[in-house]
Amino acid sequence: MIETPPRPARSLGEAVGETIGFTQEGARYLKYEAGSLNPEGSRRYYFYLMLPAIFVLACITIYPFFWLIYMSLHSVDIGGAGDMWNDFRNWTRLTRDRKFQDGWLRLAHYSVLCILFEVGIGVLLAVILNNSRFEKVLVTIFLMPMMVAPIVAGLVWYYLYNSTFGWYHWLLQSAGILGETSILGDRGTAMWGIVIVDIWQWTPLIALITLAGLKRVPRDQLEANMVDGAGAFKNFFQVTLPNLYPFLLIAILLRFMDNFRFIDAILVLTGGGPANSTKILPLYLFDISFQFFKLGRGAAIALTLLIMTIVLGLILVRVFESPAGKVNQNEEGR
Amino acid sequence: MFSVPKNPIYKSVSRRKFLELGGGVATTLGASSLAVGLNSVINRTPVMAQSSDDAKWKQYAGSRLVFMSENTPPSFAIRDNLETFYDLTGIEVEILTDDLPVVQQKVGIDLRGGSADFQLNYVQDKPIGSPFADYYEDLLKYTRDDTLPLDPEGYDEDIWFENFLKACGVYYEPGRIVAFPYDCAVACTFYRQDLFEKLSKDFEVEYGYPMEFTIDTTWKNVYDFAAFFKKMREAGHKDIPYGYAQHQGSFAWTLQLDIQRMLFAHGQWTEFDIDDKLGSKTPGPTNWGDEQSVLIMEKYKEQAEVSHPDNLANGTLELNTVYQAGEIAMQVQYHEFAASIEDPNTSKAADGKTAYAPCPKGAKEWIATGLDPVNGCNCGIGGIGINAAASEDLKRAAFLFASWATSKGTQLDVLKKLGGTPTRKSVLEVPEVKKAEQRPTTMPNALTFHAVYDVGIRDPNFVLGPKIPEANEYHNIVLTEVQRCVTGETSPEEACEEIRWQVDDMNGI
Repeated sequence: MIETPPRPARSLGEAVGETIGFTQEGARYLKYEAGSLNPEGSRRYYFYLMLPAIFVLACITIYPFFWLIYMSLHSVDIGGAGDMWNDFRNWTRLTRDRKFQDGWLRLAHYSVLCILFEVGIGVLLAVILNNSRFEKVLVTIFLMPMMVAPIVAGLVWYYLYNSTFGWYHWLLQSAGILGETSILGDRGTAMWGIVIVDIWQWTPLIALITLAGLKRVPRDQLEANMVDGAGAFKNFFQVTLPNLYPFLLIAILLRFMDNFRFIDAILVLTGGGPANSTKILPLYLFDISFQFFKLGRGAAIALTLLIMTIVLGLILVRVFESPAGKVNQNEEGR
Repeated sequence: MFSVPKNPIYKSVSRRKFLELGGGVATTLGASSLAVGLNSVINRTPVMAQSSDDAKWKQYAGSRLVFMSENTPPSFAIRDNLETFYDLTGIEVEILTDDLPVVQQKVGIDLRGGSADFQLNYVQDKPIGSPFADYYEDLLKYTRDDTLPLDPEGYDEDIWFENFLKACGVYYEPGRIVAFPYDCAVACTFYRQDLFEKLSKDFEVEYGYPMEFTIDTTWKNVYDFAAFFKKMREAGHKDIPYGYAQHQGSFAWTLQLDIQRMLFAHGQWTEFDIDDKLGSKTPGPTNWGDEQSVLIMEKYKEQAEVSHPDNLANGTLELNTVYQAGEIAMQVQYHEFAASIEDPNTSKAADGKTAYAPCPKGAKEWIATGLDPVNGCNCGIGGIGINAAASEDLKRAAFLFASWATSKGTQLDVLKKLGGTPTRKSVLEVPEVKKAEQRPTTMPNALTFHAVYDVGIRDPNFVLGPKIPEANEYHNIVLTEVQRCVTGETSPEEACEEIRWQVDDMNGI
């Protein structure tokens, strides 16, 4: 057996230097800079490396975040008189603002409907498409709605729903599902009208992510379960679905956040009507900020939206983390 | 073959240096072209009062301006005709057009932000003029500046149609002009004369009076007509359209205008006790919730019940499409839409089937205050205003365009080309236009001129307000609560009370 001489210990700086092709001299310089033997120095070195990124991040997210808090505490008038402290009036007003409260309820209603249907249909589509003969062609076709700008999708569906010349309206009316009133012209159905557009446009995203997940389901688990007597149905719920949890988590989180901020299609389809029946909170926020130019009030609403997004995001991660974690632990155990 | 220098420059520049230099040049060029592309340009050749008109028009030759406007026929026609303006002044103007709500947001941000990216704005009276009036330049000083080429007719109130200058140009304080009237959309009644004539006898048997539209036709009559048409249709006459439809839809201002016409027709009811033409920044408590408003809300709801079933989905544009498609027999619509109605390629109501009348009058039995009924009519008067944040030279150059775009010659040209809506009285005095007011006509909008200019915009029929800084929020409140009432979610009393509460809260009362 040939014994290789022990390599002299290298600092991280040297290793990095060599990896990226610096000369030995350069690597020694890095060693000095990185201060690999000194954890404090090393930390400082990484901090310096991250500094440009931190600066950019601070400019585009942290500064506006604190500015948002500032605005929510003031009466803000861009270009006019200076901002004025208003004794938390933007916040106290929210407690008696029924449109704000209704906006939350409608947003919850809208998001739950969209996500339920999109996940259900998306997973089903992915299972059907997985390893099918025309998988690639069908996936390409199914992805098309996603490639349409939401505002264009809104306009297209607006025309399809129109009771005077809309093809879908005619179809639904002929099938006896709708009367002469269009789906967007009735308080009872308008919400379904916007949900359908969202399902049409974003179910393919869920299907795509799920499809990627399906490719990662370990075959040995599936086969072992089948040996234990499980049928296809049982196999799906006992093996496939738990393995899909991390993927579904990403998909749901993405869609959930999108529903909190995408208003383009709704703006075109209903503008929040009729009688505010589709005025979800982000739409109300848009009205307050850019129609009425009440930027302080808008900032307060935006902050509640931000806080709720973070809280719900954390809850979602917790919910999905447990079974997914178990699956991963099981895998490691094997 | 070619002589090669011993130490050519490309050999002395390393690849790294070359890339650095290239990147630097590209960045500089990109940034400067972006800056030039986004900003206006101003060049000035000084002139004096004694200079020729040509010199005055050309004093800003080589400059560039941006005009943000609504996508209205005049703006399209003027955009097609910009070469004429360029030949006259040497100023390049870029006209950006969009839907009114978008224009309102864009100019709002630009005006309040003080950047003056759009030196020229479309100042639609209430959605744009009311909230942003303070951010516009006073045009009065330019109309007295003899170093500028002034319109031979002048800019005084009497050269525009009645109330027009006040509508879009004067806000909150007299003696300051924010915008010149540029185009207008005045409400009048469009109705299917062929169907009215055909069904008049059947209607008379049931209601005891003929179905015809005159200046004395009331909102009560309109309700009867609509109920009659609906009954006929429900009795199985599918070839007969619905009688009427309201302006609902998502753009709040359209509904506010729709119910305002009806409210004003009944004893000249207005939302606030303020000067309707001037408006107020402190309007005080609203009149919503009083007996008259509740009564009209009740009637408006009843009218919705006999209207086209998709009433709630139709804003102004959609409503016109419904009429063009032959699905309704009547609409109170803005006169600029006559051109689309009279186009046989797009409208089933063309070829002389449509007649035009003033807006309906108030019904005496629906007036709780005991005041007189009028033919309540309102409008959207689009002005052209100048951003006060622009530099003085840019503002003067912008004035040249504002003056040209609202001149008699330009308005006449637009009227002939795309169905414009003149704002200067002198345009209607042109023999060619007078002739066009009768069928057959080459200017379909002219068919509405009697209903609009002789009746609608004249006092006491004309209602404008409320001109308040919070106009857009006010429209939104009215839209929501009226729609909730119409759909049965609230009663008329509750709806009016809810509007009163929200409007007073908005105004800090």
